[in-house]
Amino acid sequence: MATERAVLLGNEAIARAVVEAGCEVACAYPGTPSSEILPAIAKFADLLDTKTVVEWGTNEKVAYEVAISASFTGKRSCVAMKHVGLNVAADPFMSAAQFDIEGGMLLIVADDPGPHSSQTEQDSRLFGLFAKVPVLDPSSAREAMEMVKDGFELSERHKIPVMLRPTVRVDHCRQDVELNDPLRLERPAKFVKDVKRWVCLPAHVKTTHPKLNQKMDAVKEEFTKNFSKYNFEITAQEKPKLGIIAGGISFAVVMDLLTKLGRKDISVLKIGTPHPLPLDLVNDFIARHENVLLLEETYPVIELQITDRRNVKGRWNGYVPRAGELTPEVVEELVCKALGETCTRDADEDLKKAIEELKITPKPPMLCPGCPHRASFFAIRKAFPDGIYPSDIGCYTLGVNQKTVDTSICMGASVTQSSGFYLAHKVDGQLRPIVATIGDSTFFHMGLPGLVNGVYNKHAFVLAILDNQVTAMTGGQPHPGTGQKLRKGDSGRIVPIERAVKGCGVEFVKRVEAYDIDEGVKALKEAWEYAKDHREPAVVIFGHPCMLLRQEQPKVPVRVEEETCVGCKFCINFFNCPGLVFDESSKKAYIDERFCVKCGVCVNVCPHGAIQVISEEGK
Amino acid sequence: MQYIIVGLGGQGILFASRVLGEIAIKRGENVIGSEVHGMAQRGGSVISHFKVGSYKSPLISAGDADVLLAFDQNEAIRNLHFLKNGGYGIINVHKMEVFQNESLKKYLTKRNISTFLLKGYEILNEHMKGNYLFLNVLILGAMGALNLGGISFDEVEDAVSKLSPAKFLDDNMKALDLGKMATHES
Ligand SMILES: Cc1ncc(C[n+]2csc(CCOP(=O)(O)OP(=O)(O)O)c2C)c(N)n1
Ligand code: SF4
Ligand code: SF4
Repeated sequence: MATERAVLLGNEAIARAVVEAGCEVACAYPGTPSSEILPAIAKFADLLDTKTVVEWGTNEKVAYEVAISASFTGKRSCVAMKHVGLNVAADPFMSAAQFDIEGGMLLIVADDPGPHSSQTEQDSRLFGLFAKVPVLDPSSAREAMEMVKDGFELSERHKIPVMLRPTVRVDHCRQDVELNDPLRLERPAKFVKDVKRWVCLPAHVKTTHPKLNQKMDAVKEEFTKNFSKYNFEITAQEKPKLGIIAGGISFAVVMDLLTKLGRKDISVLKIGTPHPLPLDLVNDFIARHENVLLLEETYPVIELQITDRRNVKGRWNGYVPRAGELTPEVVEELVCKALGETCTRDADEDLKKAIEELKITPKPPMLCPGCPHRASFFAIRKAFPDGIYPSDIGCYTLGVNQKTVDTSICMGASVTQSSGFYLAHKVDGQLRPIVATIGDSTFFHMGLPGLVNGVYNKHAFVLAILDNQVTAMTGGQPHPGTGQKLRKGDSGRIVPIERAVKGCGVEFVKRVEAYDIDEGVKALKEAWEYAKDHREPAVVIFGHPCMLLRQEQPKVPVRVEEETCVGCKFCINFFNCPGLVFDESSKKAYIDERFCVKCGVCVNVCPHGAIQVISEEGK
Repeated sequence: MQYIIVGLGGQGILFASRVLGEIAIKRGENVIGSEVHGMAQRGGSVISHFKVGSYKSPLISAGDADVLLAFDQNEAIRNLHFLKNGGYGIINVHKMEVFQNESLKKYLTKRNISTFLLKGYEILNEHMKGNYLFLNVLILGAMGALNLGGISFDEVEDAVSKLSPAKFLDDNMKALDLGKMATHES
């Protein structure tokens, strides 16, 4: 096949390169902005007919361990996740960094400066520094593709996992890229037993840790001497007034800005290998510029490795914001400030006024019209108006809009927080109804250990598992409860949630149809009675497919009867469907046909009976 | 050429940038753009950037966009600042009177911004059984008919038909034509 061009999403481009590089075992757990990588690996593996095994792991630690073990046998492997996924996989990541792995292993961690879809803004490059693992930081989809291939080779040369750290703007960029033939490596799996190499005994660390340090020295030397395609200088045509060191997408933003402004008096040093930092290149650049600005997202990782930062305008001296994305607007301001010039940006007074007068605000995300979670939350609140509602991470975190999500820390914490709340009250001799919500995918990811803990330690709470048959928040990936897999013709086995729950030792398990609010309320009350009496967790599973799955369901058209609606806004405040809107002039609710999907659930919501089914005849 | 595409999650904005990408690749042009996937897609405000030419960054700066495609009028107004002086916006409207706002009119005149206000919901109610999923193609049809960004209607049609799943092909072609017709009527 000759080289071909295509416009791909950054994550698809990364996936294509993974397949082209001859990766044979690819794992991941979904998480924005990384989620599209694994399905695209499966798609290209099917298209190019490679042997690549492609699997969702139940969580990132699982996925990491599966992938790295394949590399023990000489296979090329990769694992993809979002930044907070690496928190979950931190244990194998730290430990295995000290091993002399055999096949190349690429860890793809997607960061989310902004953040756009995450609970933190952490910088995975710092994790690379922590674990002593090399990091490649792409500035575009095209560069990410090359880095994937170089990453596998670097990993094999130094026998160490390599991290590719795209940020959301690389993952979710769309760019024209080159497609090539895949490498078809003939490497039969060969696991050679060697206790010193594969068992992390403390005694072995005495040799593996110094060896890891030597690896880092060798990689640093390579990054300094042989990686000029990722680390290079664009020298100013005139005497430079400013030198900018930039990594990742910030480099791209700076270059477009300099072109737009037509500046010839600014030099740029691009750094694509932030760890270990090619310090000689950086120091040489700093020595030749009196005025240096350092742009990287989101933490000062290049900055921290610079031995003398005194002439560098960065985060340490408050020049560059310590939080948030470095958008083109922010970068332009920083460059102007570093030059001592004022930014010329038109003030949009009229537009600002128009937006104020028209009361236009950004629309926050909401659960979809017809989302089963909305009905489940409504039932929970109805059953226990003064309950504590620990929740978790997923679409259902948007239950905050219905005032039924009181807490959310990280995946799985709904279960363990219920335990904590139970115990805190118990020591005072108190008992409060606690109803936790967790998604089906999140339950398999990290809900299980907490549930076992609650059973073992005898904690009274109700766990509502919101089974919408998909990992919805991240775009609709399968999970163990669905049994689906990614490659054509590949299928897994369904792990039924009920059986998993019972296996954890839970005695009370009941499944309800999520749309049926009355049934939900009844089951929740029974569950709490049981939990209270037996001092143990009780589980209610709310089942109904997510709207993303577009499964056929009866259409129940509804209307708000104007004469009956008293304008109390109860439906808006506690049901919060995009299809139900409040008209401030008439002080009545109405159905917005643009959004309503005729699920019919809201009929049971209005305390005054104003929301009614439109009968067959039309009225 | 720089395009900003705005709307609400679930309105099919991503398809529009895929169509623009397809057109560019056929012309042998370089493209880079930025999309929104994830939490923000759940019905919230979304924005896509799309740049054709030798750009490095996927993001467009305020005041630099040539064309704004807006699937929702509120999102259009919130993002008008992306348009350069003399830029062009196609805006799907559901409440026409909003565009009588004096400050808004003043801004558009001062910046020499032209707009085509498309009554997308009305058109789809009348001709496509109220299936709003075709809003994206309707807007693309109008874009092609207006020759925005130097892209012809035929090019749009080619790209849409190439990217359409078979079961939507006929309806997509119909929506394209409705978009074109709408530009003739005004
Ligand atoms: C450690 C970690 N990995 C991944 C994510 C990304 N993520 C957010 S929610 C979620 C799962 C949502 O699925 P589910 O629990 O089924 O709820 P739903 O969105 O379907 O309602 C994932 C994977 C994360 N926030 N943290
Ligand atoms: S994607 Fe599914 S789970 Fe998420 S809000 Fe929509 S219907 Fe609910
Ligand atoms: S029927 Fe009611 S709850 Fe269902 S989508 Fe329409 S407005 Fe929302």
